[in-house]
Amino acid sequence: MHAVWEQLRAGISLIFDGNELILSLTWTTIRVAFVSTAIALVIGLPIGVAIGIGRFRGRRALQLLANASLALPPVVVGVLALLLMVPGSVFGSLRIEFTLTAVYIVQAILALPYIVAFTPAAIQALPPGLLAQARALGAGRGQVSVLAVREARIGIMAAVIAAMAATVAEVGAVVIAGGNIVGSDQTLASGLLDSFLLTAGNPQLIAITIMLVLLLVILLGTLTFLQQRSGGIQLRFRTAA
Amino acid sequence: MHFFWQELRAAVPLITHGDPQLVSVIGFTLQVALIATLAASLIGIPIGVALALGRFRGRHTMRVAANVSLGLPPVLVGSILFILLAGNAPGGSLHLIFTRRVVFIAQTILALPFTIAMTAAALEGLPPGLLGQARLLGAGRLQLAALALREARIGVVAGVIAALGTALSEVAAVAILGGNLYGYNQTLASATLYYVNGGHYAQALAIAIVLIVMILVLMCALGLLQHPRGLRLRFRSAT
Repeated sequence: MHAVWEQLRAGISLIFDGNELILSLTWTTIRVAFVSTAIALVIGLPIGVAIGIGRFRGRRALQLLANASLALPPVVVGVLALLLMVPGSVFGSLRIEFTLTAVYIVQAILALPYIVAFTPAAIQALPPGLLAQARALGAGRGQVSVLAVREARIGIMAAVIAAMAATVAEVGAVVIAGGNIVGSDQTLASGLLDSFLLTAGNPQLIAITIMLVLLLVILLGTLTFLQQRSGGIQLRFRTAA
Repeated sequence: MHFFWQELRAAVPLITHGDPQLVSVIGFTLQVALIATLAASLIGIPIGVALALGRFRGRHTMRVAANVSLGLPPVLVGSILFILLAGNAPGGSLHLIFTRRVVFIAQTILALPFTIAMTAAALEGLPPGLLGQARLLGAGRLQLAALALREARIGVVAGVIAALGTALSEVAAVAILGGNLYGYNQTLASATLYYVNGGHYAQALAIAIVLIVMILVLMCALGLLQHPRGLRLRFRSAT
């Protein structure tokens, strides 16, 4: 056990000394977490609301598709995205393969199913009379949507939490589409797959592991706190029943 | 689009003609997924049953821990085990790093939370009177557990399928602990990283296709399990 303590001390002191690599990986990870989750939310929330309250054909098929895409392996997303980005392919002229932009995009794609699949579930769990009543009182589509989002905010926050956890911790797509390039688009998670860092007794490896745990706990803890404050845990249990 | 079709046209024959390298990776992946899921079921289902039916101290804490570990990132499992098993760390003498065995162990650990938490959740969802009645009628612990498992079998099998999906497609722990060694301990997911790294896009695409098909088969199995009378029913009950 002695060796592990020694490494742990070295890793922690790297973090406190403000090691450049650790700082840059942490900063990249934070940026990816917020940018990708934001993209997924902006695209996914309207789709989720439409599935949740809309009455159009193919709604159930869409919901099924969203649920199924939750099981999509990140490496598959990475390969398909990369093949569309490399020069000579559809989006090849944008030159975004192996850049931070590519990482933003693939992580947003991975986060999207959480938003699209969980938002309708949260809306459908609302008391059945609520939206119908609003409609009867003359609320337009936009107003009903806003009401649904506001009332289902706790479930939607849960979706955001799951989405952000995926953007921080998933590594398969980042490594493939981003190329895992140090100083450019390497995140804390993908740094752990870097063969230069992945050597026995490397204090950087420990420092990255600690930072990843800390970041996940802080980000997800803050979001959970906001979620609970915004609606109270009691309401949630009642509507879920 | 030209490029994508070109790679796709190169990828499909690799699958249909059974490229030997691809076939051996598929074989190893299936072996890993099946053994890891079997091990996770043998260890996890009894724990899940105990968490749901038992009345011992620390049960609630363990129940929460099982739920939390569902969200444990594979990359963290990989790096923490690497730190504990590599070089002169306490587990270093086991010489597990960069072996085949460590891949089986890593995927078992990742699959375990699914069998534990989903078994417990399925049993907790049973009608409250059912087990109480069985107890009253004199059922022993084992009989009670067998009854609960039989009644909650759909939820339990759903957990096993989720475990299988994880063991099939998760890459981080396998790549970190196994070292992603070509022709030795690569799974489909980790071989994808390897091929993309080398610019062999057709191979990577072929693997992606195989992985998607495997996951689709699993999801259909799950759908049929939950709604044995067919998909139509499933669509309806999704609302």
